Amino acid sequence: MSTLDEIERLKEQIQEKIGHAPTLDVLDKERVDLLGRKGALTALLRGLGNLDPEERAVIGKAANEIRAAAEALLEERKGELSAQALDQKLAAGRLDVTLPGRVTPLGAQHLISRIRDEIIDVFAGIGYSVAEGPEVELEFFNFTALNHSIQHPARSASDTFYLHDLSGDTHAGSEPSEVVLRTHTSPVQVRTMQHEEPPIYILAPGKVYRRDAADPTHLPQFTQMEGLVVDRDITFADLRGTLDYFVKEMFGKDRKTRFRPHFFPFTEPSAEVDVSCGICDGSGCRFCGNAGWIEILGCGMVDPEVFKHSGIDPNVYTGFAFGMGVDRIAALRYDIPDIRILIDGDMRFLRQF
Amino acid sequence: MRVSLKWLKEMLPGIKEHYADLDNFVYTLDMTGTAVEAVETAGEALEGIVVGHITAKDKHPNADTLWVTQVNIGEEEPVQIVCGADNFEAGDKVPVATVGSILPGDFKIKKSKLRGEVSMGMNCSARELGIGADADGLLILPADAPIGMPFASYWDMADTILDLEITPNRPDCLSMRGIAREMAAVFGLQQPNFDGSDSGIPNSVDKVEANVRQSEKDIHSLATVTVEDSSDCPRYAARVICDVTVGPSPDWLVERVEAAGARSINNIVDITNLVMFETGQPFHAFDLDTIAKDDAGRAAVAVRRARADESITTLDEVERKLTPENLLITDSSGPITLAGVMGAASTEVTEDTTNILLEGAVFDQVVTSRTSRGFQLISESSLRFERGVDIENTILALDMCAELITKLGQGKLTKGTIDLYPNVYERRTIELPLAKVNALLGTVLDLKTCEETLRKLRFDVVVDEDAKVLSVTVPGFRDEVRRDVDLIEEVLRLYGMENTPATLPGGRERIGGLTHNQKLRRKLEQTLRTQGLFETLTLPFGNPADYKKLGVQPRLAQLHNPLSQDQSVLRAQLLPNLLHSVALNLKRGTRNVQLYEVGTVFESAEGRKQPKEAEHVAAVLCGAWNKRSWNLPAVEIDFFDAKGIIETLLRELGIEKARFVAANDEEYPYLQPGRIAELYIGGHVRGVVGELHPRETIAFDIEEPVICFELQCKALYKAAKDLSEVQMPSRYPGIEFDIALLVDDDVSAEGITQRIESFGKKTYLSDVRLFDVYQGKGVPEGQKSLAFSLSYRSDRTLSMDEVEPQHEKLLASLQKATGATLRS
Repeated sequence: MSTLDEIERLKEQIQEKIGHAPTLDVLDKERVDLLGRKGALTALLRGLGNLDPEERAVIGKAANEIRAAAEALLEERKGELSAQALDQKLAAGRLDVTLPGRVTPLGAQHLISRIRDEIIDVFAGIGYSVAEGPEVELEFFNFTALNHSIQHPARSASDTFYLHDLSGDTHAGSEPSEVVLRTHTSPVQVRTMQHEEPPIYILAPGKVYRRDAADPTHLPQFTQMEGLVVDRDITFADLRGTLDYFVKEMFGKDRKTRFRPHFFPFTEPSAEVDVSCGICDGSGCRFCGNAGWIEILGCGMVDPEVFKHSGIDPNVYTGFAFGMGVDRIAALRYDIPDIRILIDGDMRFLRQF
Repeated sequence: MRVSLKWLKEMLPGIKEHYADLDNFVYTLDMTGTAVEAVETAGEALEGIVVGHITAKDKHPNADTLWVTQVNIGEEEPVQIVCGADNFEAGDKVPVATVGSILPGDFKIKKSKLRGEVSMGMNCSARELGIGADADGLLILPADAPIGMPFASYWDMADTILDLEITPNRPDCLSMRGIAREMAAVFGLQQPNFDGSDSGIPNSVDKVEANVRQSEKDIHSLATVTVEDSSDCPRYAARVICDVTVGPSPDWLVERVEAAGARSINNIVDITNLVMFETGQPFHAFDLDTIAKDDAGRAAVAVRRARADESITTLDEVERKLTPENLLITDSSGPITLAGVMGAASTEVTEDTTNILLEGAVFDQVVTSRTSRGFQLISESSLRFERGVDIENTILALDMCAELITKLGQGKLTKGTIDLYPNVYERRTIELPLAKVNALLGTVLDLKTCEETLRKLRFDVVVDEDAKVLSVTVPGFRDEVRRDVDLIEEVLRLYGMENTPATLPGGRERIGGLTHNQKLRRKLEQTLRTQGLFETLTLPFGNPADYKKLGVQPRLAQLHNPLSQDQSVLRAQLLPNLLHSVALNLKRGTRNVQLYEVGTVFESAEGRKQPKEAEHVAAVLCGAWNKRSWNLPAVEIDFFDAKGIIETLLRELGIEKARFVAANDEEYPYLQPGRIAELYIGGHVRGVVGELHPRETIAFDIEEPVICFELQCKALYKAAKDLSEVQMPSRYPGIEFDIALLVDDDVSAEGITQRIESFGKKTYLSDVRLFDVYQGKGVPEGQKSLAFSLSYRSDRTLSMDEVEPQHEKLLASLQKATGATLRS
């Protein structure tokens, strides 16, 4: 067989074997068989040197053409087979993407703390700081400085928790001692005013204690949030505007506030504030007890007596104060039928937040 | 304060038009400071009961004692009603309970058959309607009673009772007269005139006996009173009524005192209550003849403080030991009344009483309050004294009460009045500059508005137009109004809080936001949550028994008046209450618990008034992190989870100088020995992490391993540092070697790691990581294998030739120093 015949045969073989190689592995083997060191075409090309120049030119050209064609075909087939292989791989790699993902455990903040922080953030945005004070207070800060008369019922041992006083001081009054678990966060007002010069814009969040046995609507300890502003030219209108702003930020732009005159020993004038019911929008429903309004806080202009006890000159400064129960806001916002759930640590409750 | 609108209407007729629209009426009261807590509609209970006309009365064919009646109840056809009463004739008008109505006592009227005869309702007696005692027969109504008219309206029973919340600054509103004055002001009505004493009897009652029968006797020959200290009792007044008949009260009086919330006792007690409800002045009626007499034969009464050894048996038959804090009315035999609070049985008015000493006094607010609250005897009377009684009104109210007793008790009123009133009340006058009103309220009210508002409220006002100042004189019934701000409040509440502008304060030097520690607290909690912990809150009380169980003896802060033994102290640690939460979860079927709490703990200290307070953060972990899932098995929680959480926390807060040290087991008897690490920051123990001792899990009903930690927040905040400098990471790859070292069991991983790090300081060693701890096959008994990955790195590409000698040298010194051998 002439060399040219052989080339012709190789040409067919290339078409056949490379063009139809079923897999990338087979294709590679064919490439080695043809173009490898011991490959047929390599051998042929290596034999060219033995031919006479004329023949070498003709055959050499044919052989090189064939080699170029083979390489092109190899590339082409490789491309086809790679694409096929990828398709197969992808087909095999399909996922049921509806299966749940792998979740890193993530905890949650307690409802009360969450609402507390929300309130703090609203007021921090209008220039309030957060002030703190002791939970075990002295009668003076908890009652006297806040203008509670000596016979005020809240002072009685049936309403307020008293602690043993280990200072050795004797206590004259009718109460067991002068050391109490604070019944509100208002003592923080007095402590702040005693230590800071106006302007004062503070929030005092914290735990407070009342001597109520736990039931669906009471806990002996709950969380309160108190606000105090002392500055020049502070008016009742400022109090209204501030709480109106707060209610809209906290409960929504559509909510309205309503101020009802009330009495607190440490403010004068005093008011209770209702927010329009978010469920019925004020028309009355089961949630708001048909009132259309829900009471959320108490407030008023700081009583001059309180200023006197706190070392602030009422002729220079005026101020307002407000206080609300965080638990109450939580119970209102989430319609919690039994607030004891807030303190028992049930994971199924805590995971909801 | 319960306010009957029917009663109010008699004192203030114009109010009727306003309460006709009840919702609006209630709204106006709410918005002017008299909160309406409840609205009760009396007479509603008698719904379905109408005036009926008996058109026929026939013997029941099957029963001798029953009648079959035909009754016209204003419908097209008369109804047939079987009836057992005898006191009526055909043609009578009677109250008829129609089918479906409910009689007092929850007795529902149904269609029925009595001995074969259909009965479509019930003809009623006064007793059955709950309006009288007469049960003997039907209540026969006047012939002109309109057929079919609802009985409640015919009988004028319909009444609306408002339950009003009276704030402590409004003692005047604890009376119908005070309420009438307030409502006249609120609704702009003519102020009623209460100067006369002729009131108390409803308009509807026939006032035939207009004249009060007078006795010839004079009070001063019958009784004498002394007051020890007029600051305890600034006014003591009394009258005597003779020859009284004590008996049941007429229906109108019963109705009235019951509407006000009292129980009817007898005519005398009911009258004292009635006049108290009307005027706000409490009374006490003594049986004059039971009071010990002086030499002149007069009942001699002294108002004085109790002596230390005295006691009194009050009307509720409780003997009460007295202290000098208690104010008494006494006679020579001893205490006969706890002044303003409760009387004694010995001088009580009974059926046999004929002569009455009627006391109308004013007792000190604080003294009365102390006594009534001290004995937990809170009455309508003590409540009024505690809030403050109008001292200008005493005689008016006393006369009114005495005259009513005389009339209704058919007695004779003796001449004269005892009135010990040494310091006559002086009305105070307050200067109110208009500028101050507007400065406090943020309003632009004019002088006239303020003046008119205050006048409406019965203040006397003198206006200085030039200075724009009001001189306001306060009547005795508004004694609580003492300062200009109190007047400003009065102006504001009638002007309407809703009518003031709403502005935001424009402070100039205001800077808000959280303090450094407050921010750190948020960061701390956030870090715990991102690691899978849930915040909880527990009550900050403690149970001494819990601390006993844990085997620790903190100095617990004791409560004087705890609600219960298990809440008798303040907590000294967060852990015990969190353990109860774990137990609760397990009991409710939740096995995986990951809780944390940030809160105050308390420790009492001798010589200190208040216990020391410290903020702690604690966590309890139990079970697994997750429930098993298709791609993640349940990952059980162990000691190193808790420790890892703290390590992450330290990293987040930038706390560098912290280390864990294996604790002395005995310091923590509640933790499992060998599984306790103390957290040291700057040389001090600032917390502990460990596994709860199995004995404790049983004591707290847990039965599962619990990992816990408790740390001192303040120390964490103090040690926290912001990142101060940034290290540029090398851009060149490093060279890593893995080594496994065999060391004795008791050699700590931390010790070896520190050795490697310290030897590596002089080399290119940049990172040491323990990646395996192994004991078992291939490792000799009493030894363990610690495998480390060491990474060498520089700010250029290192060659193996540079690193290998360093690594060999490090291994050699390590072996020399610790005896660690390289595991092949």
